[in-house]
This record gives sequence, C-alpha cells and structure tokens, in this order.
Amino acid sequence: MIPEYILRAILASIAVSVLLGLLSPIINMKGLAFLTHATFHSLLFGAVLGMVFGLILENLSLVMIVALIVTIIVVVLIAELEKKGFSSDSAVGIVASFVAGLTVLSFGVLYKVMASRPYFPLSENIVSYLTGEIFLITLNDLLTLVVGGIVAFFIMLLLYRDFLYLSFDPEGLESYGGNSRAYLMILYVLVGGIGALIVKTVGLITLQVVAVLPGAIALMMSSDIRKILGVSLFLTLGVELSSVVLAYFTGIPPSGLATIMLGVIYGVLLSRR
Amino acid sequence: MDMNAVEAENLTVLYGGQPALEGLTFNVEEGKTMLLLGPNGAGKTTLLRTIAALHSEYSGKLLVFGEPPHKARDLISYVPQSHSLNERVPLTAMEVVAMGSIYRESFLHFRIPTSAMDKAKEVLGFVGLAGMENRLFRELSGGQKQRVLLARALMSDPRLLLLDEPLSALDPSARVEVTAVLSKIKRERGLTMIITTHDINPLLEIGDRVMLINKRLIEFGKPEEVLRDDVVKSVYGPLARAVKVEGKLFCITGDAHIYHRREEM
Repeated sequence: MIPEYILRAILASIAVSVLLGLLSPIINMKGLAFLTHATFHSLLFGAVLGMVFGLILENLSLVMIVALIVTIIVVVLIAELEKKGFSSDSAVGIVASFVAGLTVLSFGVLYKVMASRPYFPLSENIVSYLTGEIFLITLNDLLTLVVGGIVAFFIMLLLYRDFLYLSFDPEGLESYGGNSRAYLMILYVLVGGIGALIVKTVGLITLQVVAVLPGAIALMMSSDIRKILGVSLFLTLGVELSSVVLAYFTGIPPSGLATIMLGVIYGVLLSRR
Repeated sequence: MDMNAVEAENLTVLYGGQPALEGLTFNVEEGKTMLLLGPNGAGKTTLLRTIAALHSEYSGKLLVFGEPPHKARDLISYVPQSHSLNERVPLTAMEVVAMGSIYRESFLHFRIPTSAMDKAKEVLGFVGLAGMENRLFRELSGGQKQRVLLARALMSDPRLLLLDEPLSALDPSARVEVTAVLSKIKRERGLTMIITTHDINPLLEIGDRVMLINKRLIEFGKPEEVLRDDVVKSVYGPLARAVKVEGKLFCITGDAHIYHRREEM
C-alpha cells in the first residue's frame, strides 16, 4: 500500500512536470531565464509577506495567495519598465534589486510578528519555500496546484503558437495585427503564476534550474517543436518522479536530486557536442 | 491625379521627447517605389516604423492612404531587418509566412487555418520557394530567408510594403535573387514600396524616387535628380561619389558597392 503522502507527492510531480515541461522551452527560446530568476525570487518576498498577514489574520492559507499577487505585480512592473524603453535585463535588474531589499525588510517584520505570537512552525514553512517539501504537500496545496495548473495549462496550450511568434519576431507580430504587449504580459503572468503554484513543491532555490534546464536540453536534442515539447515534458516528468522515489529511500530533498540529475544530463549532452 | 500612399508634412518623430527626425515633408504616390537612403543613425528605420504604426510619438502630418498610420495598419506590411529575428525558435518557412495573415483574423492560433496554409504555399511559390514550406527558417540561406519574409509580407494583401534593409548581409547572388523578387512584386502586384538601404545600386532598377535623410530631409526626388555628386558627398563624406559611366548612374558610398541604372532620359 502506497502511503497517501507519497501519492500526493507523485500527483504533485506530474502537475509540476506538465507545467514546467511546456513552459521551459518558451523560457529558453524567449530568453526569459533572468526574468524567471527574478520572478521566482519575488515569490520569497510574497511568501514572507503572506506569512506576516497570515499570522496577523490567523489564516496561513494567505501565503500562496499573497505570493501569487506579489509575483504578478512584479512581472507587471517589469513589463511596464520595458514598455518605457528599458531593456529587459535592466527592467528585471531594477525590479529584482528592489524586491530583494523588500524581502530583507519583510523578514525583519516577520520576526517581530512571530515574537508577538504563540509558537507556530513558521520557520519550517519558510524552509519549505526555499528547498521545496514535496512530501509535506497537503491536500489543499495539491488541489490548488491541480486547479491552477489546469487553467495555466490551457492558457499555455491555446497561446503556444503566439508565444513562439512573440519569441521569433515581436515587432513582426505587432505589425501584422497581433498585440505583442498583451501576449508578453500573459506570458510573464504565466511564469509568475506557475512559479507561485509549484514553489512549495520544487523550492525557490531549485525552481530556476527546473524551469530552465528541461527546455535547454530539449532544444539541444531537436529542432522540431513537437519533439522539443515531448522531450521537455517527459524529461521533467522522469526527473521529478525519479527524484521523489530516490528521496523516499535516501532522505535527500527531491528538488536537490532533480536539479543534480538535470545538470548531469545537460553536462553530458554538452560534452558530446 | 495619382493617390498618395504616404503623405508627410513637417513630420517630426520623437524618441523619449527628443527629435530623431525633424521636419520631413514628402509623399509617395501609390504604386511607386521609394528608396530611403542615409548613413547609420540617420533615422531610416525610425521613419519606417512610424509609417508602420509601430512608433507613435510624432508631430506634424503623416497619412497612409489618407488615414493616420494606425488606422491604415491592415494596408501595410513591414519587413524588419532579418538579423532582428530570434532564430532559436524553430519555425518552418510555412509557419513564418502564415504569421502574415492569421493575426488579422483572431487572437488565438492553436492551429494555422487551412486557408492560411494554402495562401502561404501560393506566396512561397510567388517568391520562388515552392516546396520549401516545411524547411526550418533558420536553415535557409540569407536570400531564402529574405524571400520568406517577403512572402509573409504579401500574405495580408497589403497596398504598402515597408522593407528595412532587405539586402543587408546578403552575398551578391542573394542580392540578385531578392532584387528580382522585389521587381516582380512591383511589376505584377503594383504595390507601393519604401525600401531603406545602405547600398542603393542594386535597387536603382526599381526605384522611382529616392529620399536622402540624415535626421532631416536632405534631398527627395527622382534618382537622377537626387544622386548628384555634391549631395552624396555631403551625406556620406568626401570619398562618396555619384558618377555616370556610359549613360549609367552609379552611387559609391562608404560601402563602395557598384551596380548600375540604365538612364531613361
């Protein structure tokens, strides 16, 4: 009999794999690795802020919602700066620096709030955001991941060709009647939203790697977009599931194992070029 | 009286509040081809982008087929410089060409409509690339890529084609290929074209008007009127020359590319 927490972990892994498997090639093709990095870091600020509100309002389910809202505000800010003529790198750098400062500040506030409350295992909660704790996923977390994941999945599927065109020639897309700003904004919000959905499963520290490497590997292996998507999806799924199994037997956090596996595969492919 | 495809009067284009182009007055009659010349940073691409409604910070009058550019968008096709494309995206020639029409129809494009695929095949044939539909764009030669972009521009049946450096980074034989397609577009479809270029000589065969700019209008008129030795020198420096050899006009700028235009006088 498989324990329920393992089943939850397996289901969460499948959801994460489908989302990142689809998103990762776009992150690589559009050159969004830096934006992804900044967006995922803003999740930490959002999570800490959510914990502050959660403690004050005695409702810790606010953590993911606040993290999601903060991340969406961050991507919208980045998009607005780009609209005003900042390069993508500069826009991300400016906003990420600001968010880093806010994160430090919010930790200070959190400690003060924690000191004024009865004990609650918040430190474990923060750690689960940093390293990911797939075995601690609750039924509620899983439900949020699946429902949010289905919405994100269909948006990605419907707009995938548009995201490809946006990556290929945004100005051409605009001149032929497309709204490249709208597509870009949707893509940024998807990156932030998917990050918020899966952060507790994958962990902030490794989220960037798991979001970038499957697509990078798939792009090294094929030039056909269907094959690229297939490789990215199955690679993410294989790595996520095997890391859960390995973690069960070794006690090493699965996110770390997944990152190492992806790094090794990428390194082997690179060395054979 | 011929209708003006583009009409500009005292047009000043701004970037961040600063003028990038000042006080341009010109018009391009429908069906004519205008070659837009100027040194690097002269504002050629800026002018094209403004006409294409991709940049809207300007003052003065600018009309495309009698309408402000954003209202005439469906009549315009813009072909950017090919090096601005992200070739990491593995699109086929067919997918690139289809991009030229599907956005006029809907917001979602999960599948390319059959009608768009049929039309894409037809225009790929028109530019001499029949049978190349499923080849990856990034694996095509420079001349083939440029012809795919021209095919994409033709997908929406535009009346005005704006081409940004269509011959840049092409070898001589590819330049001949692309020039031949441009000539065919002019001859068979009668489109108005505005073409920016650093090397005017290969395009003199199809140019009806030449506009020389350097942040402002230097000269505008028929090639024989504009491409005078003194004018070319004033823009490109003392080494530039415009010469006639055996009745043919040659323009030698910094790049010193040589081609010819048979005098029509």
